[in-house]
Parts: sequence; structure tokens; C-alpha cells
Amino acid sequence: MTAIPKQKAGLLRLNAVSRKTEALFHLVLGSFSLACIIPFIFVIIISFSSEESIRRIGYSFIPASWSLEAYRQVLSLGDALWRSYFNSFFITVVGTVISVAMCVLYAYPLYRKDYKLRGFFSFLSFFTMIFGGGLIPTYIVCKDLLGMSNNYYALIVPMLVSPFYIIIMRTFFQTTVPFDLIEAATIDGSGEYTTLLRVVLPIMKPGIATVSLLTALGYWNEWFLCLLYVTRRELYPLQYLLMEMQRNAEFLARNSSMIGAAGADAIRNLPSQTMRMAVVTFIVLPIACAYPFFQRYVVEGLTIGSVKG
Amino acid sequence: MKKMLALLLAAMMLLAVIPAMADGPVEITMLLDGSNVSDDTAVLETLNPYLTEKIGVTLKPVWGTWGNFDTLALDYVNSSSNEYDIIFTSSWTSNNYSKYAMKDAYVRLDDPEDNLLEKYGKELYDVLPTMLIEGAKTPGFDGEKGIYAVPGFKDIATLNTWDVNVTLLEKYGYTLDDVKNAGFYGWGDIFATVKAGEEKDGEVFYPFVFEGLVAERIVNGTPIVTGDANSLLSYYMNVEDVTVPGVYGNTFVNKYATPEFEKFAKQMREYYLAGYIDPAIAIGETATDAWRNAQNTARYLISTEVYSYGYEASTRAQRGIDLEYVWSTATPYIDTTSLQGAMMAISSKSDHPEEAMKFLALLNTDPYVMTLLDFGVQGVHYNLNDIGEVVFTDARSTYSPWTNGLGNVTMLPPLEGQGADFQKKYAEFYGGGKTLPIVGYTFDTSSVETEIGAVANVKEAYALSLCTGAVDPETALPELLAKLDAAGMQKIVDEANAQLKAFLGE
Amino acid sequence: MSLSGGAGNVSRRKGRSGFSNMKKTFWLTTMMLPVTVWLLLIRYLPMFGIVMSFLDYRLPTRKLPFPTNLFRSKWVGLKNFNFLFTSESLTMIRNTLGYNALWIVLGLVIAVTFAILMSELTRKFLAKTYQTLMFFPYFLSWVVVAYFLFAFLDPTNGMIVRAQKAAGGTVIDWYNTPKYWPFILTICSMWKNTGYSTVLYLSAITGIDRSQYEAAAVDGATKWQQMIHVTLPHLKPMIIILLIMNVGKIFNADFGLFWSVPMNSAPLFPVTQVVNTYVYRAYTSTGNVGMSTAAGFLQNLVGFICIMAANGIVRRLDADSSLF
Repeated sequence: MTAIPKQKAGLLRLNAVSRKTEALFHLVLGSFSLACIIPFIFVIIISFSSEESIRRIGYSFIPASWSLEAYRQVLSLGDALWRSYFNSFFITVVGTVISVAMCVLYAYPLYRKDYKLRGFFSFLSFFTMIFGGGLIPTYIVCKDLLGMSNNYYALIVPMLVSPFYIIIMRTFFQTTVPFDLIEAATIDGSGEYTTLLRVVLPIMKPGIATVSLLTALGYWNEWFLCLLYVTRRELYPLQYLLMEMQRNAEFLARNSSMIGAAGADAIRNLPSQTMRMAVVTFIVLPIACAYPFFQRYVVEGLTIGSVKG
Repeated sequence: MKKMLALLLAAMMLLAVIPAMADGPVEITMLLDGSNVSDDTAVLETLNPYLTEKIGVTLKPVWGTWGNFDTLALDYVNSSSNEYDIIFTSSWTSNNYSKYAMKDAYVRLDDPEDNLLEKYGKELYDVLPTMLIEGAKTPGFDGEKGIYAVPGFKDIATLNTWDVNVTLLEKYGYTLDDVKNAGFYGWGDIFATVKAGEEKDGEVFYPFVFEGLVAERIVNGTPIVTGDANSLLSYYMNVEDVTVPGVYGNTFVNKYATPEFEKFAKQMREYYLAGYIDPAIAIGETATDAWRNAQNTARYLISTEVYSYGYEASTRAQRGIDLEYVWSTATPYIDTTSLQGAMMAISSKSDHPEEAMKFLALLNTDPYVMTLLDFGVQGVHYNLNDIGEVVFTDARSTYSPWTNGLGNVTMLPPLEGQGADFQKKYAEFYGGGKTLPIVGYTFDTSSVETEIGAVANVKEAYALSLCTGAVDPETALPELLAKLDAAGMQKIVDEANAQLKAFLGE
Repeated sequence: MSLSGGAGNVSRRKGRSGFSNMKKTFWLTTMMLPVTVWLLLIRYLPMFGIVMSFLDYRLPTRKLPFPTNLFRSKWVGLKNFNFLFTSESLTMIRNTLGYNALWIVLGLVIAVTFAILMSELTRKFLAKTYQTLMFFPYFLSWVVVAYFLFAFLDPTNGMIVRAQKAAGGTVIDWYNTPKYWPFILTICSMWKNTGYSTVLYLSAITGIDRSQYEAAAVDGATKWQQMIHVTLPHLKPMIIILLIMNVGKIFNADFGLFWSVPMNSAPLFPVTQVVNTYVYRAYTSTGNVGMSTAAGFLQNLVGFICIMAANGIVRRLDADSSLF
């Protein structure tokens, strides 16, 4: 642990793949990463293309002409835009914190081999991953029984628990927390909650960061709950703002011949493709910026780990 | 677990039976479709005092959009929620009027035991055409025919048309008569000339951009069969006189199994292979965009349009060209679909059906209420010019409900450019509509839903491609027919015909 | 699940009284409470809905409020399931199972490989960058991806189509030619999901104590041997858990992918129709709640059987890694 930097570097290189092999790794990972980012760059380009260009030559990396019109349109949403930004942030932050806390609390006893009800509770959560009542019954329970209608509660609570993440979290506990550690803490007389908070959580950082990241992404991308339970515009998250434009367009496409004159007008007044792409940009940027924050724990763990030797 | 369930169910039942105990005006909630409303405060502040004074209610509209209405409405009728007293319905939304009337989702308005229409909406009979009210009669849960919604008085007749770009046509020395005389099967030469002429500078030009399924309706004279949401059936009209049956008499046939359809598909294939048809209109998800884009930029020669009175003026101005609509039937035709195109039903879960009826009666008979709800507040959302036309202000962008989805549009003042006598002409035009022999008939699919589920999937895989020429009918059509047969198509056709026979025998 | 029955397991630890065991169980159980309540309310309570698969569902009304409407609905047995078993169902079942099986294997291999490659990089800055970039596909909805693809394959303006035209070669009518789509869909699926599962495996690798590698290196193990003997055994629990769970979803296709990406192009149906799109089309064309619930129930049942089987096999081979 107290190795001199020079030696550390030497050691690192010593137990590393050869430079040639590493170059190959970079090639593989680099090209895949490139493939991952290109569509997003494409989205940004479309958002800056002029409508005229799209009509004439379709979507293209090099549009016939550029335009800021899409952003002007998005910003002209004004309060609605900032309001939905706030909603998205609020839902994501509150949802993620509560959700991850609940997940840890549930996954931890499941990992404890000495917990007697482990089998029962494993099955209790696992079973719901496979079986559900379906959309309408869930809707009846959430909306009519639990009052999830036109409130933040409706946008947060239905996504709080994911049996999948519980199992992932339990697996993280299994792979990162040695059981001796807990036995030792117990013998020292530490209470169950104290053990969890003081002993276990600090070494669980990578796992918690990972699950938090996935949960946060889930909340940030969520729009279906809003479609089901919310009709008040003040509560729309950003993602739903986009989906509404998308769904309006799709619906009109299928039914234009039924709606009559108003349908023709409505199609004419639909938000343009470029505007939809500009909204996508607005949605992706903040979470992409937040990503490194979570990632620090994942990769920092990696760095610390390799230095430990 | 069991105890908890029982307890919760008991609580739910209790909640359901507690009667509303509010004094003062009753709040009526109404779910609408197609709205683009972000701020309705000004309208409601003006409307609600008026409603309270007149009929003792206040209105709380929920502004459903095209994108969310189908989900909201279907979840609502299926669930225990009684959030909405009044709900928009029609022959084409998810909460389909005739289907859900049969499933008991809506209050029967002319119920002999509690005739809400007689009690609170008598004046509707004076305002709405008899045809419209008759068209709203449909069987309910008990099988008895009755009125389950107030039909909207709007474009109550259908007219399918070819939309012809006359400016472009004349540029190449043709006239509108050439298009009319040649007909769908003889446009090859015109397309060839125009395509060659327009593609000189290397650009791609498609003269024929349309909605595939609508083109089939125009060419073969087949209206939408109400209740057949998947375009499986055809009823052949007599296009010269829609009041008498066409070549197949008063029967339904498998849309894809007629020689007429085969001829149509083969012609489309020919045009497609010659490069006259934009391939994008053959791909489900891009079809509408491509079709509308071509129209809006005037980059087409012939297109399709489901016509509504007054289109010429607005489309000519928008596209900057001279265009004409070539009618596919001698007169607009009235069928169940056009009569049930937009309606307002009272939910059978509503606690205030009587107040809801009072409100619907007022909405359809009182021009002040209808105008206020649709156009907004005078002086805020619109002003009237010197001939009494409505000129919208910028505030309209925060308040644009869907006009046809509200009620009686014939009470509205004309919009700018429509002319002071617009409503009179509008009524005349639709008054000239002729009824089909099968008007009033709705296909009840409940006994063949298994087959529909399967057949719809088969048909989806072929219909648009065949109607746009993207696949070869020589091979695809026999394939489709064989698969349709295997999935139970004949049972659907037989059921529809049996129902029609019973309907016409009445 | 009696307390005394389980006590035998820990009896080797002398001096531990039954009371402290009960106390431990009590405190640990309190941790389970929040999620348990949630599960009971939001997951278990709606399961009454499964019964709707067998009913001709009667809508609730004012006179017949929920749940009395359920009791008044007609029992129709298995009728709601019939639409899933027609001449067309073989295609969609083949597609659903085929794509899922292929993607489970392919996804596992690619993600584990990427995670291991990434953990071996010495330039941490680049490793971080790759990881961030790989997550971008996860942000883009399938609808957006579909438009991106369309930009290449558009029959008139598509970039590939233009290139083909310019080169004078034959132009492929992508949206009318089914044979290319199994590849296109596979690429799309891998592209979208690799970042997600790579992160899971990478963080599992992160949890491995580095001294194990150093020890192996000192013993003369090559990088390859270290991977086989240190990394993979540590990844095993995560691999097995993800495998079991994917097997449970083998009858559920990614709806967004199959619905949006082929742009609803009819001629592609033979290779793009999966259970979820079939059910959705049937549901939107009939609006029958019973039918869609029935389909969901059947998918769950198949998933459940698969998962139990997979878990059973794993438990026999390696009890610690099994799901429960």
C-alpha cells in the first residue's frame, strides 16, 4: 500500500497486457464507442438542419442548409420546458434516492446466509418479476385505490422497486462483501443497522453507484407512467413532452382520414422533425453530464483496486 | 395477504357508494380528444359563472391529445375510476362508440325508464338533423337499440377525392379533363411525361403520392364498414347513385378477394415499378409524413384527400398552386362512420348523469357556450372583423381545442376568409349528401374477436404494400388470401353478412 | 419456515442464544418491510387481474361498481387464449424464441469481453470515455434509432441507397427485403444493450481484490490464465443471475425494437413479427382486455417455467449461484 509511485507504475505495467494487445483493445472498444455516439451526433445535426433540407434530401449528416428554428421552437415552449426540466430532475433525484435505499435494505438480508427468511423474501420479490396482474388491474389499484392521479407520487412510486435491481444488488453484496466481515462486526456487538451502514456500505460503493445509475436512467427516461396517470401539464416530465409530440404524430398518421378537416390542420401544425430532435438533445445532455459522477465510483474503484497490489 | 385484500376491496366498495354530498354547482368533468390547450383559465372563468347560473353546473375539461386520448379513454372505461362524467367517443377511437355502448360503458340517453333526452335535452331534436340522431342509435348491453351519445353536428357526409395539382398538369399541356377521362387505369402516359419533365436536373420526382388505403376506397368505391376497424371488408357502392347498392348488392365481401381489388393492385404495381409512386408511402411509419410533405410542398401531380367542405381555398393558398379535387362519387355519401365521427357520451360510472345531460344540451344548442369553449374568450383569444369573421390572436396558441370533437359546429361564427355565409353553404353541401343503403349498420365483432385478432395481423403484413404497389400481387395476393382463409376470414365475412341481413330485415 | 428449524445451521457457533438469533431475524426483517409493503400493494394486489384472462370482462358502472363487475363477468374458460394459437403463431413464436436465444448468448459474450478488455486498459481516461460513450444508445429511444437507420436505408434519399446509386450497383429495397433484417435487428439490439450489461460486469470485476491477480502473476500465470482462473470465477454469479433472468424473459420480445425500427413495413413481418407486436396488433384491433391479459399471463407462465428450470439446473451444478 505504501509503494513508491515509480514501483507502482512498474508493477502496473508488469502485470498488464502487452502494448500491442492493448492497442488492439483500444481499437475494438474505440470503434464500438464511436458507433455508439454517432447516432447522437446525428440527432444534433438534424436538430440544426432546416426543415426544407429534410424535405428535399431527407436526413443527412450534411444538410443542404442549417437552421436554428428548431431550438427557437423548443425555447418558445418557455415555462412548460423549464417546468418539465424541473419535474424530470425532481422525479429522478427523489425516486433514485428512495428506490436505492429500499433496494439496499431489501437486498442486504437476502445476501445474509444466516438470515432465516431469506428464501421466502427472495421468492416474494422474484415472483413479481415474472408474474403481474397486467395493465388494467395495476391501473385500477394505483389510480383508484392508492390515489395516484395527477401528482408526483404517481410518477415516482410505481417505479420504486425493481426485483431485477434487488437481485443485482444482492449479487454485488455476494461478490464484494466477505461474510467474515459481518461475523466479525457481529461478534464485536454491532447492531444490524450499524453493521450495514458502517461496515458494509463503504465497500459497496461500486455496486450502489451502478444500481443508482441504472435507476436514475430509468426515472429519467420514463414517460409511460405520465401517460397513464397524469393529465396536468404542470407535471409533465421532459421525456413525456417528447413522447407526446411523437404519439400525436403517430396517431394522426393512422387516423387522418377519420378526423376530417381538423386532422389535416393538426398534421400541418405538428412539431417538426427537427424540433423533436432538438428535444431529444435537451433530454440527453443533462443525464450524459451527470453520468461521469456515477461513473467515478465505478472506475475509481477500478483504479484503487489496481493500485492496491 | 388475504385479509388485506378483503379489507382493501371493502374499502373500495365503500368509496364507490358514498354519495356526493356537495351543495352548490355540480362539477362536470369532460374528457376531450385532439386538444392543444395549455391555459384554459380565462375561458373557464368566463364560462363557469354562466353555466352555474343557467344549469347549476361548472365544467372541468380534461384536454386529452391525439397522442394520449386512446390510452386515457380505454383505461378509463375498463377501470373503476369515475373521474369523467362526459367522454368523447366515435367510431374510430379506442373507446369505440357502438362497441362500448354494447359493453355498457355509456348511459342510454333515451332510456324509456329515465329518458334524459326528453327531460333535459328536448331542444336537441330541433337543432340536430334527424339523420344524425337516427345514426346514433345502436344496440346496448341489453340488445335494445338506443341513443348512447350526443352526436356532433359536423361534416356528416364523406367524400373521397383525387387531389390534382393543376398548375403542374398544365405546365405539361394537360388539362383536368385529361385526368378525369383517362381515369386511374389510364394515367401512365401523364405520369411518364411529368416525371421525365420534372427530373431533368437530377432530382427525384414522384408524381403519384397518396394514402394507400384511401386510394383503394376511391378506385373501387368502397366506404369504411363501421365496426371493421381493420379494413377487412368491402361494401361496393354504386358511385353514380350511392343510395342504391353496387355490383355486389347489399353484401360484404373479403376486401382482398375481389377481381376489382386484384386489378387495382396490379395497376398500382405497374405504377410503382415505373417509379411513379414514392416508396416512402408504402412503409407504414413514414407513409403519412411522405404524403403530407409532398402535398405541402406541391411536389406531386395526383394525390388523395378525404374532402371536407371549404378545403380548396385553404389548400390553394397554403401550397401556392391551383388544385382541384376530383370526386369519386357523384355526391358525398352518408354512412354510419360519418354519422358517428365525433360524439359525446355520458359515462355509466358518472354520479351526475342528469347534470351532464343538461350541459351537453346547452353545448349543442347555445352558440355562446360552443363558441366560448371552442374559440376562447372574445377580446382575448379572438376578435371579430367587420363582416363577423373570427380573427385569432396570439393567445390562441395556448388554447386550441379540436373543433369537431366538441359539438355542434354549425353554430360557430365563420373563420377569417371563409365568408359570412360559410355556415349556410356548409350546411347546404352536407345537406346534399345521400345515404348509403347500409347506413346505421355497425359490425359487432364481439363473436369473432379471436379471428379478428389473427386476421388483423395477417392483413397488416400485406394491405399497405398491395395498395401502393410495393409488392407483386401475382405472388403476394394469393399468399394473403390463403393466410386470411387459414386465420378464419370467411367466418368474419359470414358473420358480418348475417348481421347485415338481420339489420336490413328489420 | 420455523425459527427453531433454521437454528441448526448456526448451532456450530457456540454461546449464541436463540434469543439473539431471534433479535437478528427481527432487525433484518424490519429492513425488508418497505419493499414488502410496496410489493404487496403494487405487484401482488393487482394479480386479481389474472382472472380476467378467463372472463368476458364486464365493465364497471355506477350500478355495478368494481369489484362486483368481476363477479358478474361471464366465465369463458380458455377462449381468450385462442387467438394466440392460429396458423400465424408459429412464425412469431419462432422469431421471439430465436432472436432471444441468439441475443442472450451473443449479449453475454460481447458484454463480458468488453468488460474484461476495459478492465485491462492502463489509460484510465480512455477507459472512462469508452464507458460513457457506450451508454449513449441507452438514452435514445427506439423511435429515434429508427429514424437514424432510415437515414441510411430510405428508399429515395438514404445514404447507403445513394452510395449504391452513385456506384451504379443494384439498389437494395431495404424495407421490402426481409432477408437483411435479422442482421439489422441483431446489430441494433447489441448496439443498444451492450453498454448496459458491460457496466454490470465491469463493476463486478471492480469488486475483485487485485491482490489475487498479483498473486497469480507472481505464480507465473499469463494474462489469459488470470482471466480464466481469477476473473471468470468472480463474474460467475453475475453471469448466471443475468442468464437466468434473461431466460425467464425468453417469450417477451423488446417491443420498441420490433415495433419502431422496421418502420412498420409490411413485407418485413415474417422476420419482425414477435409475440409482443402480435398481441399489440390484436389488442388495438379488438380492444379486448381479456385477450391481452391472457397473452401476458401465458408469457409469464412460460417465463416462469423456463426460469424454474434454469434455476433448478444451476442449483444442481452450483447451489451458491442459483437465484433462490
